[in-house]
Parts: sequence; C-alpha cells; structure tokens
Amino acid sequence: MEKNDKGLTRRESLKVFGAGAGFLAMGFPIKLNAQEPIRLGTLCPLTGAGGPYGPQMQEAISRVVKEMNDSGGIHGRQIQLFHEDSQTNPEAAVRATHKLIEINKVIAIMGTWASAVTLAIAPICYNNKVFDISVSGADAISDLQDDDYIFRTQPNTFVQSGVYGQFALEKGWKKIAYIAIQTPYAKTFGDTFKKKVEAAGAKVVEYLIYEANKPSYRSELTKVLGSNPEHIVIMGYSPDSIVIFKELFKMGYKGGVVGPGFAINQKVVDNVGAEVAEGIYILDPGTDPQSPAYKNLVRLLGTTDINSYAAQTYDHINLIALSLAEGKVYFGTGIRDHLRTISNPPGIEVGSFQEGMKFLKEGKKINYQGASGACDFDGKGDILSRPFIFSQVKSGKMVTIGWIKG
Amino acid sequence: MINYFIAILTFVMIYAILSLGLNVQWGFTGLVNLGHVGFFAVGAYTSAILAKLGFPFIFTLAAAVLLAALFGSLLALTTLRLKEDFLAIVTLGFSEILRLFLLNETWLTGGANGIIAIPRPIWQYIAKHYDLFYLLILSVVLVLLFLFLERLRLSPYGRMLRAIRDDELVAAVAGKNVFRSKVQAFSLGAALAGLAGVFYAHYLSYIAPDMFIPLVTINVWVALIAGGSGNNKGAILGAFVLLSFLESTRFLKDFIPILSGFRLAAVREILVGLFLILLMIYRQEGVLPEEKIQHG
Amino acid sequence: MGDQFLQYVLNGILSGGILALPAIAFSLLYGILRFPNFAIGTYITAGGFIAYAANVTLGLPIPLAFLLTMVLCGFLGVGVDQLAFRPMRERRPLTLAIVSIGVSFILENMARFIWGNDLRSYNLPVQRGMEWGGVRIGKEQLIILLVSLIFMVWVQLLLKYSRLGKSMRAVADNPMLASVKGIDSEGIIFRTSYLGAALTGAAGIMVGIDTAIDPLMGFKLILSIFAAAILGGIGSATTAVGGAFFVGFAEEVSMIWLPATYKSAIGFGMIVLVLLFRPAGLFRRTQVI
Repeated sequence: MEKNDKGLTRRESLKVFGAGAGFLAMGFPIKLNAQEPIRLGTLCPLTGAGGPYGPQMQEAISRVVKEMNDSGGIHGRQIQLFHEDSQTNPEAAVRATHKLIEINKVIAIMGTWASAVTLAIAPICYNNKVFDISVSGADAISDLQDDDYIFRTQPNTFVQSGVYGQFALEKGWKKIAYIAIQTPYAKTFGDTFKKKVEAAGAKVVEYLIYEANKPSYRSELTKVLGSNPEHIVIMGYSPDSIVIFKELFKMGYKGGVVGPGFAINQKVVDNVGAEVAEGIYILDPGTDPQSPAYKNLVRLLGTTDINSYAAQTYDHINLIALSLAEGKVYFGTGIRDHLRTISNPPGIEVGSFQEGMKFLKEGKKINYQGASGACDFDGKGDILSRPFIFSQVKSGKMVTIGWIKG
Repeated sequence: MINYFIAILTFVMIYAILSLGLNVQWGFTGLVNLGHVGFFAVGAYTSAILAKLGFPFIFTLAAAVLLAALFGSLLALTTLRLKEDFLAIVTLGFSEILRLFLLNETWLTGGANGIIAIPRPIWQYIAKHYDLFYLLILSVVLVLLFLFLERLRLSPYGRMLRAIRDDELVAAVAGKNVFRSKVQAFSLGAALAGLAGVFYAHYLSYIAPDMFIPLVTINVWVALIAGGSGNNKGAILGAFVLLSFLESTRFLKDFIPILSGFRLAAVREILVGLFLILLMIYRQEGVLPEEKIQHG
Repeated sequence: MGDQFLQYVLNGILSGGILALPAIAFSLLYGILRFPNFAIGTYITAGGFIAYAANVTLGLPIPLAFLLTMVLCGFLGVGVDQLAFRPMRERRPLTLAIVSIGVSFILENMARFIWGNDLRSYNLPVQRGMEWGGVRIGKEQLIILLVSLIFMVWVQLLLKYSRLGKSMRAVADNPMLASVKGIDSEGIIFRTSYLGAALTGAAGIMVGIDTAIDPLMGFKLILSIFAAAILGGIGSATTAVGGAFFVGFAEEVSMIWLPATYKSAIGFGMIVLVLLFRPAGLFRRTQVI
C-alpha cells in the first residue's frame, strides 16, 4: 500500500472520502442521494366502522404509486408506501402512526377516515412535521393548532349542510325529516340544515339521531313516519342505511330520500334491491364522473364502482406527489409549503401526476383538479366550497343528474 | 426508532395500571368486572374536562381518581350480590351505558367529537423530550403502585380478600364483613382504572367515546390472565405481552401477503379467542401463578 | 297517536318473534350447562351466512336454504360444545363464560375472514308491507313471525311431552337426581347443543331477511337475547318466549319517549332491574337454579 504525500494510504483516503460523503449525505438528503426513496404512509380504515371503504381507499393510492414509480418516480426518486390499518380506532391509529413515523420514517400520512382517528393522530403528525391529509368531516379539524400540517379533502359540515339545504329548497321540498347517527357533525349538520330550510318556509318535521349498529330501527322509523314527512335526509353509514331503507319501504314510505355517498352507494343499492332504491338521491361533493382525474381513477381501479373516499385518496397521493415534484423539498414541511401552489388556481388544469409532471418540467404553473373535486384549499387546510353533484338511483344504477354550487 | 418504543412502552404502562386495578378486583377478591373500561373512561373524561376548564393537573388527577372510585362503589353496592356470571353481564352493561352517555351528552363531553387539545402537564418546560419524561413519570407511578399493592397483598387485609375470594362462607363465619370488603376492593380497582385513564387522556391529548369500548376491557382481561391473576408482577407482565401481541401482528402482513386488511384483523381476533380458550382450559392461573405466601 | 301506538306494539311483537328462538336456545343451554353462552350471538351470524352461501352462492331457494342452515348450525353447536366446553364440564360458570367469549371471537372472525365486512342480502326482493287499520307489516315479517311461532310451539311440546324434553328438564332441574335415574347427561347435552344452535341459526336467517347479513349481525342482538332470557327466567325455555316478547315490546315502544340514541340502555336497564329485584325472572315464582 503506497502512501501518498499527504500521509494517507489509498484505503484510508477512500474511507475518509466515503465517510465524508456519507456525512454530507446525512446532512443534505435533499440534494445528494437521488436514490433515496420517498416514504409515504397510508392509514386507511381497513377494519372497523370504516372497513367498507378503507380497502379501496388504500388500493387507489397503491395503484397510482405503482404507475408513478414505473414512469420514473418523482424526479428519479421512487416512492415507498407503508400501509397500516387505522382499525377505525383512535388508539390503534396512534400506535400505527408512531410506527409509520418513527420506524418507517414517512414524511406524510394519507387516508385517515374517522374524525376521531384524524384528531387523535394530528398532534403526533404536526409535532413531527409530518404532513397529514384525511377524508374526515368533523369541524374540530379546521380549528386544530396544527401549524398547517393537517389538510383534508372532505368539506366541512357548514358547507355540506348548506348545499343540502339548497338542494331541498330547489326541489321544492316542504316537509322534511332528518335522520342521522351520532357523529361529530350530526347535530351541526342538522341544525344548519334546519335553519336554512325553515328560513325559506319548509319544515323539518322530524329530527332523529339514532344509535348505530342496532339490528332494527322499526320504531325509530315509525316515529319519523308519524309526522308524515315527504322527504328524508339521511346521514348514516351504509350498514344502517341498508336496514333503514328496507324498513322504510316495508312501512310504505314513498317519499324522497337524499343522502351522501357514504350512506348510499352501489353496494347499498344492490343490497336493498332496485325497487327499494328507486328514486333515492345521492348528494356528494363534486365527484364529477366526466373529469379527467375521475376517468383516470376508473382506469386505474378497473371499475366505476368507486366510493367517494377512494376518489379523495386518489387525490391525496397526487397532491402530495405534485407538491413534492414542484417544491423539491422532500419533507412534510415541503409538502405543506407547496401544496396550494399546485392545487389552487390559477394554473393549467391537470388531473393526474403524469400530466402535472409534464407541465412542471416545462416550468409552468399547474392547478390540480381532482377526482373528488377541484381540490382548492383555504388557509386552514380545508377544502374551499365547491360544487356538489347529485345523482339518482334509476333501475338499480346511480345516474348523475346535475350540480349544485357549494 | 426509539420514539416508537417509548410510545409503545407508554401504552404498556397504562395497560399495566389497568391490569393492576383489575387484579385487585379479580385476582385478590374474585370479583368479576367486565366493565373495567367504564372506570377508565370516567378517569380520562373527568381529568380532561377539568383540565380544559383550567384546573391544574394535580387537582384533575385527584378528582378523576375519586370519581372513578365513587362510580366503583356505587356499582359495587348495587350489584355485587349477584352471581358472578350475571355480575359479568351487568358490569358490561354499565360500561356500555356510560359510553352511550359520553357519546350523546355533547354539552359535557363533546360527544362523538371527543375532547381535543387536552393540556399535557408541565409541557411548557420540557417540550423537547416530553414523551420520554412522561414515560419516566408513569414508570415511577407504576413502581409505587406495585409496591403498594404488594404490601396490600401481603397484609392481613390482603389475606382477608383472598379468603373471601376462595370461600365467602368461611370468611363470613370468621367474622369478616364480606360485603364491605368486596365493595372496597372493587372501588380500589376502579380508582386504579381511573388513574390509568388520567394518564391516557393527557398523553394522547385527545379522547373520544370510541376509545372506551368493551374490547379494551377484554384486552385487559387477556393481559391479566395471560400474566397471572392474583399476581401483581403478572399483571404488569401481561400488559407487555398484550401490547407485544397487538403490535407484532402488525408486522405479520409483511411476511404473509394474503393477510391484509380485514383478514389480518380477523386472524388477530381469532388468535385472541383461541388464546383465551386455551388459557382457560389448561392454565387458568396464567403464566405467573400466584405466589404462595410462606408462613412462619 | 292511537294507531301509531298499535304500530309500535306490532313492531315489538315482530322484534320479540325474532328474539324468541335465540332466547329459548340460550335458556335451554343455560339450564343444562349452567353458564351464559356468549357464543349464541355468533350462532345467529353463522346461520345468516350459511343461508347466504346456500341461497346466493349455491342458488338454493330460501325454504331449502333454511332447512340446510338449521341442520348445519346444529352440528356447529355440537362441535363447539365438544371442542370448547366439554373439556371444562367441571369448571365454574365464569370460566365457561369466558371460553364462550373466546368462541364468539373465533366464529365472528371466521365469518369475517371468509366473507369480509360488507353487508349482504339474500336473493329475496323486498316487498311493500301490507296494511290493515293503520298498521303495516311486511310480508316476509309476517312469515318470519309465523315460522317463529311454529317453532316456539314445537319446542314447548317437545319439552313438555317428549322423552327428550322431559330428560332435558330433569337435567336442568336437578342433574344429580337425573343421573341417578339413569339419564345420560352427555347425550342430553349433545342433543340440547344441537337443538339450541339449530334454532338460533334459524333466527339468523330471519335477521338476515329482515335486515342484512354481516359478521356483526349476531353481536348486535346479543344484549337483547340476554335480556329476554333473564326476564323470562334464565334456564326456563318455556318462559323465555315471554321474556323475548317483553323485551321486544319494551325496546320498540320505549322509542316513543326515549331518545333513540339510548336504545341499548333499555336492554341493559331491564337486565339490571330484573337481576336486582326479581332474579327468577318476571314469570316464575321459584328461585332460579
């Protein structure tokens, strides 16, 4: 081993050089090691109350990432996904979050569904500067002191109930019953809705909040029907709505029904049968089946039976990826700081990562329009009010009818 | 990496306290309590509500523990005369009705929203390594509780409780006020669950009714039985076993791909069920049997 | 409100009709085995899913699926007894109760493993209810009620007049005396486990028809079943029916005054009150075993 003039062997100088490079790599992960994968976490409800929705939510993200990685990743860096099950249980979700953040070292978490879950993991995320984006609806999420790390694609209750009120009034509904399960937004929604429609001369004749997961709702519904409502607004989850719709039908109810996508989906329609489901309205934040993003999602999942939360998680991953691509700061902070740049207007409207990347490489400003809506965020990380789409069940299929401005 | 273990250990400590409390009721005195999570909830919610109103931690802790003990006494006074398998059903009912109350009475408890931003005691002074600090405090509390309960177990009072557990009639004939002792033991167990609840609420900074479901009680039972009922060390060991089990199944899916999502959860629950059955059949005393007291 | 009340009563009768069979099964099992069998809820779930497999997957018509389900559920009940409870015949009731909780975890999650969490329905169109005098009842609900009544009557006759029934009652009343008189208690346990599970499986189909099929369907009912059996006087299959109708009635009629969010409180409330003040049940005068 020859020594060079400065007194280091080749082996030693290699070691020094290697150590130095390694040291630099640790200190500057953004620039130096282009092969370092981007670590992202999903925390969807694979089991528990959100179980019907979680698997597809996770699948949407997985398929988008696979395609992203196959086409070169984000500026050459592959995305590594870590999946955990929130079990729709805040405590389990907290433990899973610790694992995702501290063992898997993810820079972002997507897909939390239950508001209690999102609220429980929020402090861990923002204290660790990890970006979190959810589909949760509780108003409390807007008010979190979260240093802008917590975003969501689900409109908050005031927006939703306002739109429902508008829908009811536009349809000329006069005698309305409100049925909901006990959730963080059940009462706020009901109260806002009631105020809006009653100010215009309609009447909420029954206001029922019921206990979830009971085997039958015969008497609760008897009570509701006792006031002869002509229309029903239902805010429950699909297991209960299946039971409720069957009961309403048997009890001879012939009036209108409207509810969100999580209460009424294709599975519900299939379970209760075309006759029972005929005419039921679904009113959801604008999942426009004609939008490029939605069509892309249909292609990826290979089906048109997509729940509204999976449309949102498709947007979650795209938003995060485009934000990282635009800002090139591969941390939660980077996602946070660049998210509105790629999602809010102005900009060229894009509906997929590939499309967005194309324009970003040309140095242009983009405006991501998602499968779940325009995806424009306000200062608190909430979705700005936007159009809602309503569909109706006809002969066992859900058919889009029109739009309502949010 | 280490923060993950700190987090999991914190949960272990909390479940260990829950387990010790159940041990006082079941292991020491032979009382069946399938509603343990109810006292856990009372402790958590009391401390959370009072803390958000601005009361200092020491005060909220004391109030929470006292209230949990009070609930324990009330439940015990009304129901302890029942046969044990019915006592199980009734105590379960208590925790479920309490949960409904927490869920529906939004004006007090925040309802389904839960209570957010529960203040963490002396956070402002130690923000950087808070989790480690919290874990240390919990460990100290646990050690103190363990020492206290060991003394209790070895004391004449402890012997009396065991006598009641093993044969009520004999204990009564020996002149002990059986019923009063049972109520006291039950209340002590409830107080401990309340204490665990306080630490739970302030650790997570968030509680919701969904976190206080019967499954938690079942988990504590599994922990206690697995570790060894009657045995305080076993109660703590059981908490380790429980959390290790719950966390390790998480990693199963990385090795057995078909086990994802609901299948993994189903398998986990089946394993818990099998474990319960086998434990009951073969080793009812659990892993660490009750230590026989050496006399004279 | 007058005929509304009648509707509530009818609702209660329907609920009671569905609860009656599992309540009878629960009491039968308690009488013979002397512990509350928490797995009874999952026999309902099993019944619902086996019938689903028969009706939807294999395409059998509902009545055939019904019979097949009862037969198979019976074997399930026997299997559970032989594997989980038989090794523990000498143990205290609480231990067996805990074992039955373990069994319920296993059965519920086996259903979940195979079929997932999604709700399912049978190949049976939902029909408009029929109406007389201001009250409505669905056609399937009426059939469910009738079938349930037939089984109730059959079980009563079985218990009262058949040799099996008399042996069951003998073992329930006084096992020691029964064995002295030469009654083979293991054989009785075998038959009772079969019968109880078969009846409960039948209830599972009824629940599936009336509402929906999912892994939690039995768990949702277990509280009411306990209440029905306890109210009727636990261990007494004959009065369990009365308990079931009472519970069904109370749960539905209370919805007139009680906030719907506290529905579960009814069942538990009744259990607590009965156990504290009339532990032998509402209908019996003698002390419970």
